[in-house]
Amino acid sequence: MMSLAARSGAFSPYMQATAVAVSGPLKALVSGVVVKGEKMLLDPKKQFLCRESLNGQSPKTGPAVTVSINGCAGVRFAHTDVRVPDFSDYRRPDVLDPNKSSQESSESRKTFSYLVTGATTVVGVYAAKTVVTQFVSSMSASADVLALSQIEIKLSDIPEGKNMTFKWRGKPLFVRHRTEKEIATEAGVNLAELRDPQHDKDRVLNPSWVIVLGVCTHLGCVPIANAGDFGGYYCPCHGSHYDASGRIRKGPAPLNLEVPFYEFPDDDTVLVG
Amino acid sequence: IDLVGRLFLSQGSSETDLSIFILLPSGLVIASLENYSPASKIGVFVKAGCRYETPDNQGVTHLLRLASNLTTKGASSFKICRGVEAVGGNLSVTSSRENMIYTVDCLRDDIDTVMEYLINVTTAPEFRAWEVSELTPRVKMDKAQAAHSTQIDVIESLHEAAYKNALCNSLYCPNHMVGNIQSGHLHQFVQNNFTSSRMALVGLGVDHTMLTQVGEQFLNIRSGAGTTGAEAQYRGGEIRLPSISSLLHSAVVSESAAAGTGEAMAFSVLQHLLGAGLHVKRGTCASSKLVQGVAKATADPFDVSAFNSSYSDSGLFGLYTISQPAAAGDVIKAALAEVKAVADGGVTAADLTRAKAQLKGQFLMSLETSEGLLETIGTQALAEGSYCSAEEVSKNIDNVSLTDVSNAAKKFVTGKKTMASSGNLIKTPFVDEI
Repeated sequence: MMSLAARSGAFSPYMQATAVAVSGPLKALVSGVVVKGEKMLLDPKKQFLCRESLNGQSPKTGPAVTVSINGCAGVRFAHTDVRVPDFSDYRRPDVLDPNKSSQESSESRKTFSYLVTGATTVVGVYAAKTVVTQFVSSMSASADVLALSQIEIKLSDIPEGKNMTFKWRGKPLFVRHRTEKEIATEAGVNLAELRDPQHDKDRVLNPSWVIVLGVCTHLGCVPIANAGDFGGYYCPCHGSHYDASGRIRKGPAPLNLEVPFYEFPDDDTVLVG
Repeated sequence: IDLVGRLFLSQGSSETDLSIFILLPSGLVIASLENYSPASKIGVFVKAGCRYETPDNQGVTHLLRLASNLTTKGASSFKICRGVEAVGGNLSVTSSRENMIYTVDCLRDDIDTVMEYLINVTTAPEFRAWEVSELTPRVKMDKAQAAHSTQIDVIESLHEAAYKNALCNSLYCPNHMVGNIQSGHLHQFVQNNFTSSRMALVGLGVDHTMLTQVGEQFLNIRSGAGTTGAEAQYRGGEIRLPSISSLLHSAVVSESAAAGTGEAMAFSVLQHLLGAGLHVKRGTCASSKLVQGVAKATADPFDVSAFNSSYSDSGLFGLYTISQPAAAGDVIKAALAEVKAVADGGVTAADLTRAKAQLKGQFLMSLETSEGLLETIGTQALAEGSYCSAEEVSKNIDNVSLTDVSNAAKKFVTGKKTMASSGNLIKTPFVDEI
């Protein structure tokens, strides 16, 4: 006859020691174990305060131990399978002490963090802007093209009364060293007679030098210098006469010869373009 | 599985659906109970408790317990864990001094899946060397948790002091063997102890034919009786574990009877006669002779209970006390005086009736949970190959007489005592002083 009532209590609720991987949703927790390095720190809450709290603590029979995949969570409670590394080397000295409040250092920590973040953002934005503009501006004219866009002319090579032609941006450029007489003549011209009224001083920076594009405004031929009825230029294609300031006087052309942008970096050179 | 008409049967009629145990020629026992529950439970019971450890592989059952989810021939460790979790089941292994119990529970429809894992774990483990060596931290963690509980410490020391062999082995791996149990030890232990004649396959809420098929196909693999465990020899000794704890735990026991005998039943009744824990939450244990007797000896908080543990060839019966260190001697002596009073015939019929009722209540209530029921069926299957119904057990309890009980108490009083104490031992008597 089996004395079942005295079987080894495998499931006596008190004597179950368990070690498991995952906690089950419905089963109770037993006290957890924390592994710090090689030492095991156990939950020290073991104050038996009154007689009633001791009641039932004595075991009545021999123990049985259970291990299961999905049972009472002793280990998972404390995540002892997962070893959290010690980050002390990387932490701020202000907050290393777990017993000290971190409120005192919070101002300075926050300020430092925000400053660094702000500065990095500014630098980052600037860097981004630089990169983007570099890429976008790479689509603009290349250096060799830009090199052709300006021309520097030595003025001492051009004697008075003489007109010199240069190739500039694919077009002929007339540089004329005017005589005093020519300057006076042009300055005195009545604007009412002109098809395209422009005073001479509006067309030149330095009255002794007139710099214009040598392209006839009628149909684009190149006028001949020191020819024509007005002491300036004459276009042989359709007979347009320009004066010493490059203004149209007679003939089919509608506008004066175009004056490009130029400047005199010093007395002896002119930079056109 | 047809879900229509499923119902929960009351406790009384549960036996009617018990498929009678099948004892295969190889010795394997298969039992199942159809309780029409939506959740099923299957247990493989093996006579491979820590009493079967030999001196050169002490602690192997602890490793074996932790190795239940390691890679097997049919499923890797990951597959087992994931598979069990995916069906919302549970795979667990419980080990006591006598048996190892591998249990899976899951919903009825998922039985096939978890059955596969259970069979793999019990019959075809691989115990890969690197996986086994990774268990060492878990062993340490287990031991740390067990050390946290003084009761386990005391009980394990008690057994160590009481026996020369077999039953003196601890459920936990001894310190000198932590890290020294290898895969080979585990394989050898399984070879020697997981044989068909020492196994039982029990199912609750499963189809019996399916269970029989599985048992015949898989669990018959290793035949033979395996190594016979040594007969436990009681010696009686003492272990004192000093510590700075504010409480003193002490257990005083003597040899009782092997499980299954009438004498063991008498000891169980005696345990409840003397007092075995609370029956009412936050009550005063008015029915416990021990508690009332000790309360006269000290006013400090204490707890005392009769301790009774039966194994296949021996048993331990005695007292377990928890007290303040200064009052320890008084408490232990007062408790022992109560037992002596029972031995001298100071038991009334009313006491006996109460004790029997409490024992019956405890036993029957343990059958109400599926875990308790599975364990009962399984341990019976393993120990005797047959099943005693609850009615039979109740009758046996009723047949215990006053003389049986007082003889049991006399046996304790006159027997060679074993003692284990833990805490501040300043006022704790030695075993020859009590």
